[in-house]
Parts: sequence; structure tokens; C-alpha cells
Amino acid sequence: MSAKQILTTLMMVLALIVVGSTTMAADMPEQVSLDTMVELFEAVEFDHDMHSELGEDCSVCHHHTTGTGTTDDRCISCHANSDELETVACINCHVSDPFSSEHLSRESQEIYQFHIDRPGLKAAYHWNCIGCHEEMDGPTGCEDCHARTPEGDEFYHKDATGSADEGGHH
Amino acid sequence: MSGISRRKFLAASVAVGAATTLGGTKKALAAGSFSGYPNSMGVLVDLTRCIGCRSCEAACNKEQKLPDPNLPFDDMSVFDQTFHHGTQKRRTDESAYTVVNRYTPEGSEPIYRKVQCNHCAEPACLSSCFVNAYTKTKEGAVIYDGSVCVGCRNCMIACPFNVPAYSYSSAFGAVVKKCIFCHETRLKDGLPPACVEICPQEALTFGKRKDLLKIGHQRIQTHPGRYIDRVYGEKELGGTHWMYLSPIPVEEVGFDPRPGNEPIISHVKEFLGVVPMVLAIWPALFTGFHLLAKNQEGHGDHEHDTEHQHDEEGGQQ
Amino acid sequence: MKSLVELGVKPVDSLINERNDKRWSLMEKLFLGLSPGQYLGQALRNPFNWILGLIFAVGLPLILYRFIFGLGAITHASNDYPWGLFLGFGLFCMVPLSASGFMLGTTVEIFGRHDFHPIERLALLNGLLGYFFAVVYLMVDLGQPWRLPYPMFWSFGPAAVLFLVAWHVATYLSVQIAEVSVAFFEWMDWLGGKRFIRRITIGLTVSGIILSTLHQGALGALFNYAPGKVHPLWYSASFQWIHFFVSAIPAGLCMVIVVSTIIKKTMAWRCDDGFLDSLDRCTLGIAKGAAMGLITYLVIKFIGVAHDNEWAYLATGWGAWFLFEMFVGVLLPLVLFAYAIRHQVASLARWGAAFTVLGIVLNRLNTALITFNWKLYQEIPHIFEFIVALTVFAIYITTYRFILYRLPILYSWKEQPQEALAPEAVKAAPASTTVSPANAVYRKID
Ligand code: SF4
Ligand code: SF4
Ligand code: SF4
Repeated sequence: MSAKQILTTLMMVLALIVVGSTTMAADMPEQVSLDTMVELFEAVEFDHDMHSELGEDCSVCHHHTTGTGTTDDRCISCHANSDELETVACINCHVSDPFSSEHLSRESQEIYQFHIDRPGLKAAYHWNCIGCHEEMDGPTGCEDCHARTPEGDEFYHKDATGSADEGGHH
Repeated sequence: MSGISRRKFLAASVAVGAATTLGGTKKALAAGSFSGYPNSMGVLVDLTRCIGCRSCEAACNKEQKLPDPNLPFDDMSVFDQTFHHGTQKRRTDESAYTVVNRYTPEGSEPIYRKVQCNHCAEPACLSSCFVNAYTKTKEGAVIYDGSVCVGCRNCMIACPFNVPAYSYSSAFGAVVKKCIFCHETRLKDGLPPACVEICPQEALTFGKRKDLLKIGHQRIQTHPGRYIDRVYGEKELGGTHWMYLSPIPVEEVGFDPRPGNEPIISHVKEFLGVVPMVLAIWPALFTGFHLLAKNQEGHGDHEHDTEHQHDEEGGQQ
Repeated sequence: MKSLVELGVKPVDSLINERNDKRWSLMEKLFLGLSPGQYLGQALRNPFNWILGLIFAVGLPLILYRFIFGLGAITHASNDYPWGLFLGFGLFCMVPLSASGFMLGTTVEIFGRHDFHPIERLALLNGLLGYFFAVVYLMVDLGQPWRLPYPMFWSFGPAAVLFLVAWHVATYLSVQIAEVSVAFFEWMDWLGGKRFIRRITIGLTVSGIILSTLHQGALGALFNYAPGKVHPLWYSASFQWIHFFVSAIPAGLCMVIVVSTIIKKTMAWRCDDGFLDSLDRCTLGIAKGAAMGLITYLVIKFIGVAHDNEWAYLATGWGAWFLFEMFVGVLLPLVLFAYAIRHQVASLARWGAAFTVLGIVLNRLNTALITFNWKLYQEIPHIFEFIVALTVFAIYITTYRFILYRLPILYSWKEQPQEALAPEAVKAAPASTTVSPANAVYRKID
């Protein structure tokens, strides 16, 4: 496997690129473009404005970072009274390469029990979106949010036409 | 005369027996005390996270350069497929090293389970293979060398998870096929397998097996009611490197709930232990019988010795 | 052939053609001393040959088909059912049914029961051919049969039970070839070879016992790899190999009885009086051995059930099937044998043997196929699979018959025509001058 291939595969990991930069609610981005997985899917233009209007407070999506306290049971046990953090973008905690050897060895040495097993960026994002969309009747199908590229079509073998029952089952 | 034949025989039995069976037994018995590579990798499959998107199937297909599928990987109708009079769901085969199946327990959301080789710590497939085609790598993968596979399919008989498949359609290159943990292209370079990497839900958590065990138990602990209290594969069949967390009893998602904690090899050990004994005792025993019988004949008494027949039966059991 | 013999034609049974006092040529020997026309005539008159012909006509192309299009084309062997009829029947049934070689070899050579010697060669041949064709079945079944020598020379998996089976079957096959080759050497008049084998008979026999014990057991132990797949009634964690080994004893013995019965009915012309006259006595003697084996088998079978506490399964459908197998394959023959031995009725013992053979075949098929994957679903082999299995079996029968017709298996080879006059003497007094090779061996060993 060539370095280029490795790179491409890494690129396939859905990652968050925060266009409007970080921190305070005042600097809140209007749009977030998720475009690292352009190999298989078109970039997703995430309408941050619209979503922040929908949510009652930021902590529905963000943790203990944006003025309102965290709601996550596991975090509350230590962070009920924690201050806001400098960083608020998902990618600052949820790494895009949760299974790289570097990250894994970091995890191995993590001393705070609740800081291990943090979901990677792609998972954090999907859990957040899909979980909420299910409750609010938002879109949940892959292609409801992600338009597939021709490469994506090939990856999923869009053109396969065989019948269901000749599944090669012996 | 009989002296010569005995000597010849002994030489022959040592050559045949010692070279093959004794050596084998030693290796087999040693396998029992093998505690695994401490830093080997594994995957924790969390059934509560999987949404059945089948991306992992697509990724595997691409990574392992498998034949084109019959249906696109985003076609969810495959979950309705059943086989053998509705008793079986999809399984791994020569063109799919992993498949995702849907289970719909009564009164609950559907649950999806990804199936692939579980990369046992003491693999049954490996121990049953008479040409040693399988290898357990230090990274934790169970890989195999198709170029020595004779096609006897004993590993398929042995695998308790019914994983290895066979290229029945091929007349000349028919070998066994199964998930290899992406060992060649990824694992040995420290990269996660293709299926893990693509999973949008992180239903597949890649890491050191010992860390994964910790994570698994922690998830169970910190999410009361979400999981049953079992990391399937922690101890089952001697431990596997791909393990499962399930929200419902494992038999409801198609696992054998009580496969036992002994690795498959230990079921065979008893017999392998007998081998050197037979090799050691039989020659003397039967040569002895022969000498005895000869003495009897010397007394001209071999027409009525029906007792003899009994001895013989007794002697062999 | 029968009618030819009635017309006074005598099949080759000695070195010298009595009609012209010349040695038989190889060609003549191959044609049994008949003219090619006569030979062809008798072959065509035999309706059994037509049946065989029909089987070959259908089966041989199918075997070819299998090697061109793969196993998937002619079998229902699947990822869930990796082993079909070829191994289920070909390997797991043929091998126990061929335990005859080592059983009779042991009886005659080790225990000195020379009263069984008229049937010893048949038993040895039965063993050899059974093993050989088990390997043939294996070749049909293996994905890459040309790699069969790999476990021998190339890539070793010595912790595998199948490795043991492979090595033992291979070595045992050579042992059996050596044992049977005595008859071949006589027939070819290669007395040097014969003398050599005679010298190592005991060695061969004892290694036969060892190898047989181990690989008969190993075939059972193969299923120890699949504790969750074989139905518990056919699976025993501790006794699987003993079950297979012990049941192989009556299986092999009974196969000899069955084969000798068929021979007596269809091939009497080829047997000498020594064989025919002692057959009933031998049958009953073998039946006695088989009965002992069966009793032991029955007991350990139920010990197996008790040990793993599987009584509850007996009340299920599988249990009924298990009891059926035990009844038809073990109890019924036991009763028949008991009666036959007590009242000296060889024909009943023959029925008992037939049922035993059936029972063993049923047992092996049950273990390897029918109850295998009892938690999944049942698979019925492809019709072509049956045909190919039958075809290989037909080749087996043809080879068997070909050899029986020619080599001195059922009759004693007359090295010197004048000695042939004394077949009675052969039987009555093994210690006297005799033409029988096995007796000669025994004398020499003494
Ligand atoms: S799951 Fe089956 S194929 Fe995979 S390592 Fe274990 S025994 Fe072998
Ligand atoms: S680990 Fe690799 S080979 Fe195995 S299922 Fe995943 S992608 Fe396929
Ligand atoms: S990619 Fe992940 S979520 Fe999708 S089917 Fe596979 S395991 Fe489930």
C-alpha cells in the first residue's frame, strides 16, 4: 500500500473542518463545511445558524463549553461546576484519527477513567446528528445529508444488479 | 527370525511415530499454555451503535479486492434475505469476508450485527489445519497461506463461528477464504482495518485487546440498562480478539450463548495425549501377545482357544 | 464365468499351464487362462457388468465435470456443510469398514489363530482397497488434490488430528500394500519379494495395529473440533475417539463376512475348497469377535451418554433416531450373532454382519452429515453427489473383483502342480508340507 493510498484512506474518515474558527458564542460560525470525505461524498454544508436556533441551549450539542453546563451524566460527576473551556469545536476533543497508533498509545496512558473511549470525530458527529434527527424527525438516511460522489457510487457498487437470492451462498 | 522382525518393526514405528505424532502432540499441548501476545490488537463491536449501513461490507470488499457484489452495498433489502427455509441469515463467503445481519427482537428496535472472523486467541481453524496454513500474528490477526491450502475444509468444520468460507466455484484454485483483519495491507503497519475506519458510528472500536476489555466493561458500567453484562469473546472459546457488546442476550443476535470457555484445541488434547501412549505401549503389548500365542501353539493347543479371542478384544480397547 | 467353469475351463491358479506344461504368460494370467474371446463373452454375459457400465457411463463424466467446474457444481457441500458424502461416506465409512486387515492380521499372526488364515488374505485385501478408495474419495473431494502430499513433505501442521490421519493412512496403506503384495508376488512368481515380506510380517502386523488404533480413533477425534456442531448424542467429549475405534472393530470384521458372503454367492468358481469349506467356521468365529466388539461398543456408547448426562436428548426426535441406529446397527446384530453362534448358523451371522455394516455406515453418516449442524439446518446432498459417490464405489467393486479374480486371495497358489493335489492336507495340518504362504510364514517365524 502506497503512502498515497494510505492518505486517501485517511481522508475517507469523515472529519469536521470548522470554517468560522473557534471559541466564543459571539464568533459562532454560520456555516460549517464538512469536506474531508470528498472521496466518497460531497462536502456537507452544515447550517450552524439554523441548528443553534432550533436548540434550546448549546449544551444539547456541545459539552461544558458554551455558557450552559454539561448535561452528560458522566461529565457532570466531575465537571458540574467546571469553567468554560477555551475551545468549543468538536474536533478539539474528538480526534479525526481515533485509531491511529499515536492516538491509541495516548489513550493507553490516559489516567482519567472517563477520558478513555472518547468517540472519534466522525462518530461524535453522527451520534449527535442522527440521535437528534431521529427524535425531531430530521433526515437520517446517509444520502439525506451526504451527496455521493461518483467514487462513492463505485464504492457502494451502485450498479450491481444481481438478484437478491443469488447471494453466492453455499 | 522373529527377533529380526521385531527390531525392524521397532525401527519403523519409531521413525513413523516419533517423527510425526510425538512432535505434534508436544506442539498441541504447548498451545494450551500459550497466553497470547500481550500487545495484540482487537476490535470491540458495539451492537447498540451499529445502524446497519453496510459501509463496512463495502470497505472490506474494496480493501480485500473481492468480487463485485450482486446487490449494491447500500441496498438494505439484503437484511430480509433468508436461506435454507428461512432458518439462516446471510453468512460470510468467498466473496464477502464480512456481512451485517439484522435481528428484530420483539418490542425492540432492530439490532444489527456485523459478522467476520473473530480472530480467536487460540484459533480452532489454526489447530485443525494439517498443512499449517494458518498463522496467529503477533498483532492478533489470524491469517492464512492459501498457497499451501489443500482444500480439506477441516478448518470450516472446526471454526465455532462458522467463519471460513471456501471457493467452491473454483476448480483449480479452490482454497479457504476469510477475514484476515486486513493484516497485510493495514494491521501490520499499525493501521486499523478498512471496515473499522469507514464505520460512521464507531460501532467498531479498534485497539489493544486488553484496553478494549477495559473499555467494554466500562461501557457496561457507565450505561446501566444499555447492555447485557457480558463482553462476548472475553473468555468464550479461550478468548477472541473481536469482541461484542450486545443490548440483548447474545443468542437473540445469533451467537451460541454457551460455547464454553475452553479453546477448541483442548477438546482434542485428550486424544492427542493418547497418541504417545499407544505408540509406547502397543508394540510391547502385542509382541508379547504374539510370544504368548506362540507358546500355546507349542503345546499344540490352538484349535480350541476361544478365550483367546476374548483376550484380543480386551487387549485392544 | 460360472458356466465356463462348468464346461471344464479352469481359471489360472498355478505357475504352470497343466495343458501344455508351460508357464502361464502374464497376458494369459490376466485373462484368467481364457482366450480373449471367452473372456469378453463371460464379461458380457454377466448382468452385473451392465449395471457397472451404466454407472460408469453416467458417473465418470460427472467426475470429469467436477474437476472442470469445481465441487460447487456437483455437490451441496457448502460453507456450513464443508463435508458432504465424499468424506461422510468415502472417508468416514470406508476406513472403519476396512479395519478388517489389521483385525484378521492380528488374529492370525499375533494371536496365532491360524484357523482363520483361509480368510486372512481377503481381510487384508479388503483393508487395502478400502483405504485406497477412501483416499480416492478424498481426492475427489479435496479442493486441490494435487497438494495432498503437502502435509507429508511440504508444510506440516503436526498439532492437527488430520495430520495424524494423513500420515497414518499413508503409512498404513504402504503396510497393507506390503501385506497384500505376497499374493501378488506369488502370482507374478517373484519369490524374492515374497520372502522379504514374510520376514517382516510380524513387524508389519504390529505397526498395522498401532496405526489402525490411532487413525481409526483420530477419525473420531476429528469431530472433537466441532463440539457444538455434532449432536450431543453422537458426540462425546472424552470418548469420541474410543467410540470410533471400538466400532471399527466389528465394522471391519463384519465387512469381511459380508464380502465373503457375496463371494460365496457369485464367485465360488474362484475359491478353492480350503476357502469354501472353512468359510462357515470362519464366519462364526469372526462373528464372535464382532459380537464382543459390539457389546463393548454398546456399553461405551451409553457410558458416553451417561458421562455427558445426555439422557434428556433421548426423548427428542434426535433421540429416537439415535435409538434406531443403536437398535438396527448394534442390538439387532448382537441378537442375531448370539443366536447364530449358539446354534452354529452361519447364515444368521451373515445377516448380523450386514446389519452391523449398515449400522456403522449410519453412525458415521449421522456424525458427519445428518446430525452435523443440528442447530442450523439439515442439508441433503446433491443428486450428482450421490452418483459420483456411487461411481467411485463401483470402481472400488470393479477393482476388488479384478484382483479377486486373479491374485491368490481366495485360493492357494500352486507353485508346483503336484502339490496342488493336497489341499486337504493344507487345511488339516498347517505344520505339514504345504503350499500355503501364510502357513509358511508361520513356520519360519517359529
Ligand atoms: S473465528 Fe473461526 S476462523 Fe476466525 S480465528 Fe476463530 S476459529 Fe479461526
Ligand atoms: S478486518 Fe479487513 S478483512 Fe476483516 S472484515 Fe474488516 S475489512 Fe474485511
Ligand atoms: S459500518 Fe458500522 S454502522 Fe455501518 S453496518 Fe458496519 S458496523 Fe454497522
